[in-house]
Amino acid sequence: MSIVPWLAALVPACLVLVGLWPHANARPRVIAGVAFGVGLAGFLGVLALAGAVAVGGRLVTPTVGFLGGGIGFYLDALSVTMFALVSFVGVAVLRYSRNYLDGDPNHGAFIQRLCLTIAAVQILVIAGNLALLILAWITTSICLNRLLLFYTDRRAAVLAARKKFVVSRLGDACLIGAAYCLYQLFGSLEYATLFVGAAQLQGPSDGFVTLAALLIAAAALLKSAQFPLHGWILEVMETPTPVSALLHAGIINAGGFLVLRLADVMSLSAPALSVLAIVGGATALFGSLVMLTQTSVKVSLAYSTIAQMGFMLLQCGLGAYAAALLHILAHSLYKAHAFLSSGSVIDVLRASWSPSPSGSPHPARFVFALLLTLGATFAVSWAFGATLAEKPGVFVLGAVLMMGLTLLVANAIDRRPNAYVVGRALASALVVGALYFTLQAGTEHLFAGVLPTTKPLAGAFDFGIVAAVIFAFAGVTWLQGQMGSVVATPWGQAVYVHLSQGLYVNTLANRLALRFWPVRISAANAP
Amino acid sequence: MSVQTLTRGDDVLAAVQTRLVLDEAVRGACARIAPLWPLKNFVAVNPFLGLTDKTFAGASAWLQSVARTDMLMPLDSFIEKVNAGLISSDDLMVAIATGPKVAGVDTVASLRAAMSRCAHARPTPAVVATVAEVLDRLADGDRYASRTAFMVEEISKWCAAYFDEGQAAWKAPWRGHKPYAAWQKAMRHDRNPETMGVKGFRDTIASLPNDPRDAIRLIVDALGIPERAYEDYLFRALFDVQGWAAYARYQVWDNGLHGREDDTLVELLAIRVAWGYALFQERTDPAFRIAWAAAMDDAAQIPNDGELDTGDSLGLRVLLQQACEIAYQRQLVALLECPAPAPGPLRPALQAAFCIDVRSEVYRRALESVSDDIQTIGFAGFFGFPIEYVPIGNTRGGAQCPVLLKPNVVVCEAVAGATAEQEAQILSVRLLRRRAVKAWKAFKLSAVSSFTYVETIGLSFVAKIAGDSLGWTRPVPDPNRDGLDESAAQRLGPRLEPHIVDGRQTGFAPETRIAMAEAVLRAMSMTENFARLVLLTGHGSTTVNNPHASGLDCGACGGHTGEANARVAAAILNDPGVRLGLAARGIQIPEDTWFLGCLHDTTTDEVRVFNSASVPTSHAGEMKLLRIWLDRASTLARTERADLLGVADTAERDAAIISRSRDWSQVRPEWGLAGNAAFIAAPRSRTAAADLGGRAFLHNYDWRKDDGFGVLELIMTAPMVVASWINLQYYGSSVNNRAFGSGNKTLHNVVGALGVLEGNGGDLRAGLPWQSVHDGRKLVHEPLRLSVFIEAPLDAINTVIAKHESVRQLVENKWLHLFAFGPDGKIYRYWSDKAWASETPTVRVA
Repeated sequence: MSIVPWLAALVPACLVLVGLWPHANARPRVIAGVAFGVGLAGFLGVLALAGAVAVGGRLVTPTVGFLGGGIGFYLDALSVTMFALVSFVGVAVLRYSRNYLDGDPNHGAFIQRLCLTIAAVQILVIAGNLALLILAWITTSICLNRLLLFYTDRRAAVLAARKKFVVSRLGDACLIGAAYCLYQLFGSLEYATLFVGAAQLQGPSDGFVTLAALLIAAAALLKSAQFPLHGWILEVMETPTPVSALLHAGIINAGGFLVLRLADVMSLSAPALSVLAIVGGATALFGSLVMLTQTSVKVSLAYSTIAQMGFMLLQCGLGAYAAALLHILAHSLYKAHAFLSSGSVIDVLRASWSPSPSGSPHPARFVFALLLTLGATFAVSWAFGATLAEKPGVFVLGAVLMMGLTLLVANAIDRRPNAYVVGRALASALVVGALYFTLQAGTEHLFAGVLPTTKPLAGAFDFGIVAAVIFAFAGVTWLQGQMGSVVATPWGQAVYVHLSQGLYVNTLANRLALRFWPVRISAANAP
Repeated sequence: MSVQTLTRGDDVLAAVQTRLVLDEAVRGACARIAPLWPLKNFVAVNPFLGLTDKTFAGASAWLQSVARTDMLMPLDSFIEKVNAGLISSDDLMVAIATGPKVAGVDTVASLRAAMSRCAHARPTPAVVATVAEVLDRLADGDRYASRTAFMVEEISKWCAAYFDEGQAAWKAPWRGHKPYAAWQKAMRHDRNPETMGVKGFRDTIASLPNDPRDAIRLIVDALGIPERAYEDYLFRALFDVQGWAAYARYQVWDNGLHGREDDTLVELLAIRVAWGYALFQERTDPAFRIAWAAAMDDAAQIPNDGELDTGDSLGLRVLLQQACEIAYQRQLVALLECPAPAPGPLRPALQAAFCIDVRSEVYRRALESVSDDIQTIGFAGFFGFPIEYVPIGNTRGGAQCPVLLKPNVVVCEAVAGATAEQEAQILSVRLLRRRAVKAWKAFKLSAVSSFTYVETIGLSFVAKIAGDSLGWTRPVPDPNRDGLDESAAQRLGPRLEPHIVDGRQTGFAPETRIAMAEAVLRAMSMTENFARLVLLTGHGSTTVNNPHASGLDCGACGGHTGEANARVAAAILNDPGVRLGLAARGIQIPEDTWFLGCLHDTTTDEVRVFNSASVPTSHAGEMKLLRIWLDRASTLARTERADLLGVADTAERDAAIISRSRDWSQVRPEWGLAGNAAFIAAPRSRTAAADLGGRAFLHNYDWRKDDGFGVLELIMTAPMVVASWINLQYYGSSVNNRAFGSGNKTLHNVVGALGVLEGNGGDLRAGLPWQSVHDGRKLVHEPLRLSVFIEAPLDAINTVIAKHESVRQLVENKWLHLFAFGPDGKIYRYWSDKAWASETPTVRVA
């Protein structure tokens, strides 16, 4: 037994120490400086650990506890990657908060709550057993709750936190249920034992496995703000921007991580994967369409997160685990930056206030663009030795890629097509295609031993899901291409209204929350 | 028959009468809303603009009784100041003598007694309740339970979609219609209110007339609002969505400048009252109906005379506010009573004109201290050139002049030294790059492609986050230089030559140049003794990731940096043709005088000199010296500001201040105009010996050179009014940030690319962020009404006041304090109705 994996625990432990240091509000800038230093040192330590895992393979500690649950860590490629991601986002957020909250009477407390939240997520990803995972899972949610209610006099914050509370406790129940099932099945809560057990369970699965997988799927969907219980994430802008960055880049991923961590179990249950694919796919389309209609930058970003998490869970549901992990990483970094720089949107729009000929692409050009990108995609995929037909599970993702590139090229072909613009868009499309395959192949290669490989589709139901997903995505692509004419029709206008209101789901949730758990704040400090 | 006809005739007459009264009430309610400029040119606005026909005290009472909104500091903060000795007994005495009469308060002792008696304000009943207000009352003030928060939210969301300047990719389909009609169309489909439990919402809205005024009439009638309360009711309703109302008012204002009719605000009013009506229709329960009837009875009875209710702390607080201002004025008067000796006839080595902005005061003092050979001048930062400045590659630009004016010349940005072909080349490249960027952006934000975008590009944000965190990179490209090569960006500048762009005449004709040059020199009282180098220094700020960035730029340039105006002014004054023309009009500029356009960066206190390459070689020595002087002054100015910025006074001080301008997490890159309290129009010698602490707008003015007092009139109607707008914006944002400010910057959520929400939603927020006036421990901006000091004969000032109603209102109604340096060397305070009193002894003179 080596001491090295135990060292991992030092990273969150130091953050917890900063997080619990007394009288933080008296010297907020000192606490902020120390927190940033500790966070940075921790991140560098995690990189070293990642190096150790890359060279020597996974590092596992024994579990100090009972029933296989307790203190113990499991460091493999998946967990150190997530560990590094969370630490990096954590450092960025801590650094940002040092000046951003300057002068706030609770600046010190804010930094401390950030530290505790980051530490909880770190433990969540490196936990070596389900008991510790659940503990970290619940702690994260409680810490986050304290951040969401940073300004306790904001009613909207209280309302959002209550909705989140209900959803979180449902998720906790699902996760605890799943852990119970897994314990019954494998006799331990320790990952190492679970994974070995799951590997031996290949073949027709019994009801218990399916129940466990369904509960895991449910916990993941609840944690990832999936339709129709996504409302709370739209309303957590009632707390300073760095919290949004941390939530959208560090915490919301926990659902996806859970599925990936227990991918061996998930793969045993086709129904659980189907649930993920259906709910995730539907949410992806829902979120990305509603996003188009939103007028405030942060709410737009929130819908984007809902959509991206949906897409990631769709990838899980299709068995493309490596793609899902890549999605988690890329989305986190993108979204952290998007939130932290959300004050720059005026600059962005000032830069685009220039007369440039545009307008909806002509249908014929749309077809032309489609053909071009089809060609480009196949050329690139062929160059990488992976035709889409060979990997049916990835076919959906390839199709989505193609539709995206079509839009990119089609958008460049506007009313006055110009060789430079189209050429640059085509080149971008080629680069994007190449990057896409490189990254996908790279991720699959890097995590080959950790994540189950993408499986071919089996059965009509699977094909049905794939067909439905492609059909729906293509429909939305078409709709966006035709936006100009669609909005002129009465049904187009009705669709716009329904979508801009998020299909009324959140309003209903608010009404229920207000009815059954009314917000009471003394009138003196009501907003 | 005759009786019947008579009755019907009476009815018709009464109906016409009511209609007229109501139309007047609609106009009146709308006129009470101050405009809100969009974030791309966020200029300061007096939030009480619509109330200046009332006295300051009367407006406080009116806002309190109609909108239950406070526009004074809480009593506690005044008590603290009195206890700390910041307000002396003398100040209190003068305040009692000069302030509004408060019953029972006639001596300092009685004032102190009254202060301890009513430390707690009690809320007065509103003059007229709105449906929302009665609902709130029934729900114990819980705006969520009463659904009025929901109403504000829904109106706000709808306005955001309607007015959106570029956030949503899928735009609201009805933007071509007028707001009320568009809203009615949208509400046909919208099930959100009914989902929330507002039964029959769609039917109620569909049943309303299609004309907004008709709808208002019907609703006011159906609600049974008493005629005498029309205006108050409508204002109260509009005040619930005051942010969007202010934005609508801006549209009315902007169109008004160009002589166009605009009903946007009335339309928004119709939307707001229609919402209230839908809530009213839905609540048929007796509790509500009884409460409503009672509210209407009250509204018919409560007197509405705008008098101060002395039982409340309001009157006291007006007095105490006055006392704070008197305390400040006492110090200021002491400083101004001993002016520096007027400069001799010797030619200075350098003259440097700066904007009147209070931030210039610090820099001017620093620059003057560097050498005795330097003179500085204060003037509105657009330097008398109201231009529309069209960025390269565009055909329309922003108005770079005070928002009270309309630009009269269009000037295009161009690349210096480029031939027409080269410029066309640079332009087309920029346009193409932008088109490519646009296509890429669409790829990033479209429903389906956004997933691919994230997977392929997302990882690269590791570097971006690291770079932005360390201040090495800018979170997004600088919009002014985006798409241009560095070499071209360096050479950007205004083009003066006449030129047709997009069918419009741009640039300056020779006669225009001479006329404008003469006007600006005379307005600056600068007609002789020119130095060899004359700087015209505009100002701008450098901040990143700051939605309110343009609010830190030059207000006199319409919320843009003053670069273009300063460069235009300098180029025109260097034009040999203009010099000839000026000479013919009696202004001799020596041949060896060279004007330089410059930009003072108020965040970093650096001064950039433009076109230094075109300075004649004969001035090389001065140019070298100039750079040394400017750098030294920059360091001095930074040293002075470091303390307030909380930057340690160490060797790294300069670097620390400069790094704030690049820090994406910085919520206080600079303090802007916080602290502003005085406006002084006089020769610089009057103020040169005083350290005014960056709190005064300084305008050079020499009445002896002002034949007919045309310049005085200009100063009092433009720069003074703008300074008062800025002053009252800071005042409002400090005393009641919830109502007149934009709240907590860390919660800001940019909406529609035009304004901010605080948090998820709610109303659009006007005014300044809390962080811009408060450092977390105390208000950095002490809320004081502007003290205006003008050196000019009292009669001349009286004449201007009498001539301009807007100036008269500001002065008479005490929205600012007016002082004059009389010809006898004494300082006089404007009392009222053309009566002045000498400041030192308290004797009134006619």
